Amino acid sequence: MKVRWPLVVRRTHKWLALLVGVQVVIWTMTGFYMVAVHISIIHGDHLVRAPKVAAFDLDDVVPVSRVLAAAPGTSEVRLQRLFGEPVWRAQTAEGPRLFDARTGRPLPPLDETQIRAQAQRIFTGEAPIVSARLLTEIPPEIKAYEPPLWQVEFDGWNRPTLYLSPTTGELMSRRHQLWRIFDFAWMLHIMDYDERTDVNNPLLRVATWTALAMIATGAWLLIWAFPRRRRKKKA
Amino acid sequence: MKRIRFSPLLFRRIHKWMGLILGIQFVIWALSGSVMALLDMEKVGGHSPSAADTPALDATGYAAVASLASGADVTGVTLRSLGSQPIYELHTPAGVRLFDAATGAPLAIDAAAARRIAAQANDAPVTRARLLPGPNLESRDFAGPVWRIDFADEENNSAYVSAETGRFLIMRGDTWRTWDFFWMLHNMDYLNRTSFNHPLIVFVAFGTLWISGTGFYLLFKSFSRADFRWLRRRRRGARS
Repeated sequence: MKVRWPLVVRRTHKWLALLVGVQVVIWTMTGFYMVAVHISIIHGDHLVRAPKVAAFDLDDVVPVSRVLAAAPGTSEVRLQRLFGEPVWRAQTAEGPRLFDARTGRPLPPLDETQIRAQAQRIFTGEAPIVSARLLTEIPPEIKAYEPPLWQVEFDGWNRPTLYLSPTTGELMSRRHQLWRIFDFAWMLHIMDYDERTDVNNPLLRVATWTALAMIATGAWLLIWAFPRRRRKKKA
Repeated sequence: MKRIRFSPLLFRRIHKWMGLILGIQFVIWALSGSVMALLDMEKVGGHSPSAADTPALDATGYAAVASLASGADVTGVTLRSLGSQPIYELHTPAGVRLFDAATGAPLAIDAAAARRIAAQANDAPVTRARLLPGPNLESRDFAGPVWRIDFADEENNSAYVSAETGRFLIMRGDTWRTWDFFWMLHNMDYLNRTSFNHPLIVFVAFGTLWISGTGFYLLFKSFSRADFRWLRRRRRGARS
């Protein structure tokens, strides 16, 4: 029997499209969002100021051994600034600790006033702070981080949110509405509706290969979609 | 002038013509997406190692920071371990300088040091160590000169160690290389493989929206009741 290829291919295209059509529409829509909004905007680079680089007066800082004696189990010590003042930052197994670099005195965790001031220093916008909360439970949007963290929300449609370390005042992460939409689009794109991270999940694998077959048969159909000899139009 | 009629024919035409123009990329997106979903992300890797198992520093025995011959303004100081050796990392406008933290002597990351650092992440024998003046495609996420240490293992792993700081940057293997080729096809940035926000991809993505949108509409026009007869027949068969 002779195979009628145009018919077979067309039927395959149609039925596969019935299976994965909705997901293909979702892929093209979420894909378009992800390419159209620049990733540096999504990352929120425009929301935060890069820390100022300035030279330290090294004759005016206490030796690192003072810090290491006060914070045993430290794996790394860094000289940095907090509100413009030099501080030693010790990375311990229990998290970072700060010491006044001029006196060697340990610095207590930042209070709310300091956190608010620090957030305003980092934030590039003019909007006021809506809320500042010390979180003991990590929200899903920053699930890679450890509590406790300060969450400072700013006013505006974009809801810029900065996450600061309570012990060092460092900016840990930033989020805003466009990021949240991106994250949602990413979830739909990789079809991992729980964790939004697993790009190898079986559902995605089945859907992608089905979609490939559907799209490939569609491309195949193009051979017959443009008849070479046009019938003359009747006057 | 002919009036445009919103008929299935119009949608079919858009579907056909957009398919003709952008169909190749649509197929490539589906193919590269399928392959990336299939490649095990654990094997692809691409995540830098965590700093979890860095050893604790001794409490004493360090040269004074001010005594180090930085030769320029110091904008940052870090005391850390390189292997088992404590070192100072000084940031200056002229670049990063390393010093032996015990003696204060300047330190350079030579081939032997780079091999030692890389070997901490891979037990396989080293076949080659090369100094690259800048990032290549595999180490593109990191600026500055790097040591590339090749290993004789199944994945043909290459470790990248910063020649400036001595930090272990990343391990790249054949699974990653395969993945990266398809990622390039997916993001259409054929030179640098990093950007997915360039005009070409935005343009093509906008076009494919039309293919999928019209296609979705045509689904409702392409099926007739007759297409589902087999379903009803089976149901009737089950009942009797």
